[in-house]
Amino acid sequence: MNDGSAMNEIDPEILQLAREEAAERVENIEKNLLAVESGSIDPEVLNELFRDAHSIESAAAMLDWKRVAAIAQGMEDRFSDCREGRASLTDLIDGTLATLDELRLAIASDEAKEADPEGSAEVATPEAPPAPAWGPQNGAPAAEAPQNGGPKAAEKGPLTTQNGDVAPAAVAEPIPVAADKPIRVSAAKVDRILDAVGETALNHRRLEHVLRERLVTSGNAESEQELDMGNRMLGELHDSVIGMRTLPLSSITAPFPRAIRDTAVAEGKEVELLMSGTDTQLDRSILEGLAEQINHVLRNAVAHGIEAPDEREAAGKPREGMVELRAEQRGGMVAIEIGDDGGGVPAGVLARAEGAGSLTDLLSAPGFSTADGVSGIAGRGVGLDAVRKHVETRGGSLAVESEPRQGTTVTLLLPFTLAVMRVLMCERGGQSFGLPLTSVREVVSASGTVSLAGRKSLELDGEAVQFDDLAAALGASAPELPEQHPAMVVGAAGRWRAMACDTVLGDQEVVVKGLGPLLAGTRGYLGGAILGDGSVALILDPNQLVRGAEGGSAPTVSATGVKPVEAKAPVAGSRILVVDDQVTARQLQRSILESAGYRVQTACDGREALDRIAENGVDMVMTDVEMPEMDGFELLRAIRGDAKRSSLPVVMVTGLGSDEQRQRGADEGADAYIVKKEYDQHTLLDVVSRLIGA
Amino acid sequence: VSEVCVRVLAGDEHFALPVSGVLSISELGEVAPVPGGPPELLGVRNLRGRVIPVIDLATMLGISDETDRKWIVVSELDGLHGGFAVTEIVDVGELGDATEEADSPYLSGAILVDGALVGVVDLAVILNALSPAAA
Repeated sequence: MNDGSAMNEIDPEILQLAREEAAERVENIEKNLLAVESGSIDPEVLNELFRDAHSIESAAAMLDWKRVAAIAQGMEDRFSDCREGRASLTDLIDGTLATLDELRLAIASDEAKEADPEGSAEVATPEAPPAPAWGPQNGAPAAEAPQNGGPKAAEKGPLTTQNGDVAPAAVAEPIPVAADKPIRVSAAKVDRILDAVGETALNHRRLEHVLRERLVTSGNAESEQELDMGNRMLGELHDSVIGMRTLPLSSITAPFPRAIRDTAVAEGKEVELLMSGTDTQLDRSILEGLAEQINHVLRNAVAHGIEAPDEREAAGKPREGMVELRAEQRGGMVAIEIGDDGGGVPAGVLARAEGAGSLTDLLSAPGFSTADGVSGIAGRGVGLDAVRKHVETRGGSLAVESEPRQGTTVTLLLPFTLAVMRVLMCERGGQSFGLPLTSVREVVSASGTVSLAGRKSLELDGEAVQFDDLAAALGASAPELPEQHPAMVVGAAGRWRAMACDTVLGDQEVVVKGLGPLLAGTRGYLGGAILGDGSVALILDPNQLVRGAEGGSAPTVSATGVKPVEAKAPVAGSRILVVDDQVTARQLQRSILESAGYRVQTACDGREALDRIAENGVDMVMTDVEMPEMDGFELLRAIRGDAKRSSLPVVMVTGLGSDEQRQRGADEGADAYIVKKEYDQHTLLDVVSRLIGA
Repeated sequence: VSEVCVRVLAGDEHFALPVSGVLSISELGEVAPVPGGPPELLGVRNLRGRVIPVIDLATMLGISDETDRKWIVVSELDGLHGGFAVTEIVDVGELGDATEEADSPYLSGAILVDGALVGVVDLAVILNALSPAAA
């Protein structure tokens, strides 16, 4: 057998992988045992149980994890007995589940992290978990079979193996290898690739910039094509790396059936757990730490939602309660609903909830408990504040709904990924910030604010929305806001606030990176994003923004009798379709037009533009000339050729500034022609307002 | 055994950062301030695709100083990574054993080099002190 020094040569990464794999097999054993317990008897299950135990045992023997190997060996022998008909599996479930817990501890223990200098794993030390309920040499199945409720592991003697040492691995049964067997790569490595792809894209953009400067004078279609091709390929590469970070929700759901079972047994209840939609994909950054939160909500549902069997029967419900976990994608978010068919939140609590704002607010107030007394598992709300905090720091939200006698549903709404997000970029005091686009209702002009007692507010759809300077809300110092400034109406957890900034730059997709453990105590940010110029923009946490300056609610205009002055912000502008194959050009035009109050849609070529026009109808089209698929002139011709839209204003925006091009544009019926190099914000807006009015 | 250190100037005081905890040295670059962050935090910076916090070494060590920070010494220990902004990089080399006591908890000792007292920064202590998780 190996000694300690030999162990030190094993790569820590391999050890990590071995631990992960062993943990996975433990989960699989547990899943299979629970399936057997609920009545599914498939002979293949026994083979799988045996194989899993055997794999853990042989890997542990190889790595000299003596304790893991010994426990797994005992389990393997047990399954082998069952396979040969010497024992009944159903009798062994409780005992085996207890042993699984020890196996988990052993895998997570220091022994599996580093060499065991004593080389002894036979006797459980006082701090170590109790020895397994049975050892491999025990050959009397009847004697081992756990009695009612399962034996307490501590009552059993210390574990011994056949010859005081771990038996060498038996000849392994062939384990089928799936054709698409995943490979294991550490998450940090994937993140490193993502960082590198981001850097490469940045470098490509710089190269593109340098080259285009020269191409404008010389003109070279081939180079342009190659640059575009490079862009596309980098985009694909980026998407693939992001794809590598996603995992199905089922990757964390394995412990839930067991948790429900244990809680139900402890509480004297009968509960069935149903799970659906667990194949929903989530980014690793979102999955991290999520299992604990779901587990908490599930246990609450069993302990406080589901009634005792007799009580249920009296209420005309089946004795066995049901807890259901449903996951589904909703737009860019994933909803995880945990519902029970229990008694619902007590009526008194519902009444209090009305005073507290909402049931969610009341239940997730720190320390809230609906339990009258103190029980083993505390009241429904205890810990729900932690769950809420968890989902909110990831840009999600929590909602609780309850119907008396029908049950309670807790919904965790989480972004699909923290890695890639569409954000609305804005600038305040010379610094760029991003806000998750899903949290922004609209961008308004700040001219219509009402000031009362030093607080500004804005009337939106008949409601007063508190109005703050973004810099002040963040606690930053910044120069005064310009006289004309936009404000973003940000919503989270059912509240709205308008955040004033210097300029709104438009929306863009960014890769959000964590700010690292040193900044874990700084609240208000979801992370940082590296922008096209290599600088970092902070991505704001809407929950914190909305809650941050809650010094008092905004005064409602109607209640104080103050007349709203130009209360409604001019947002319902004309609809402009921006057509350009370059993202940056689209973004730029969009931001200029949107900050002037127009509503902007985009398309990346003529064909897409025609689809947009047909679908939504627009008031004006601004198009690039050079585009793949269908170019600007073709688009113009198609619009002019359509009787219904022949008078739609079309502005050509192009990098080509030749008189010939200009003339052709005019001949084809363009209403205006803007050369990209010449345009600035004012020219563009002048042309637009001349054609369709502000 | 004396260790190889990066010797830096924070203001006009000399400090040494053991290279075992140093990942790289780079120019200060563009640092985005983080409103609401701790006072010693200058902001965050993009360093080869990674967002790293930039900490002002002088502020951390209680030195008030107005000189321009020009460099960042990037450290990583036990998954805690951050850059320390300094005024100047003096050199990289072996220093003798620490002979003097240092009164800051963030220094493991001090060495007299060429007539200047150089404080040896204890990176593990300083990074852990900055990390709220360890508090």
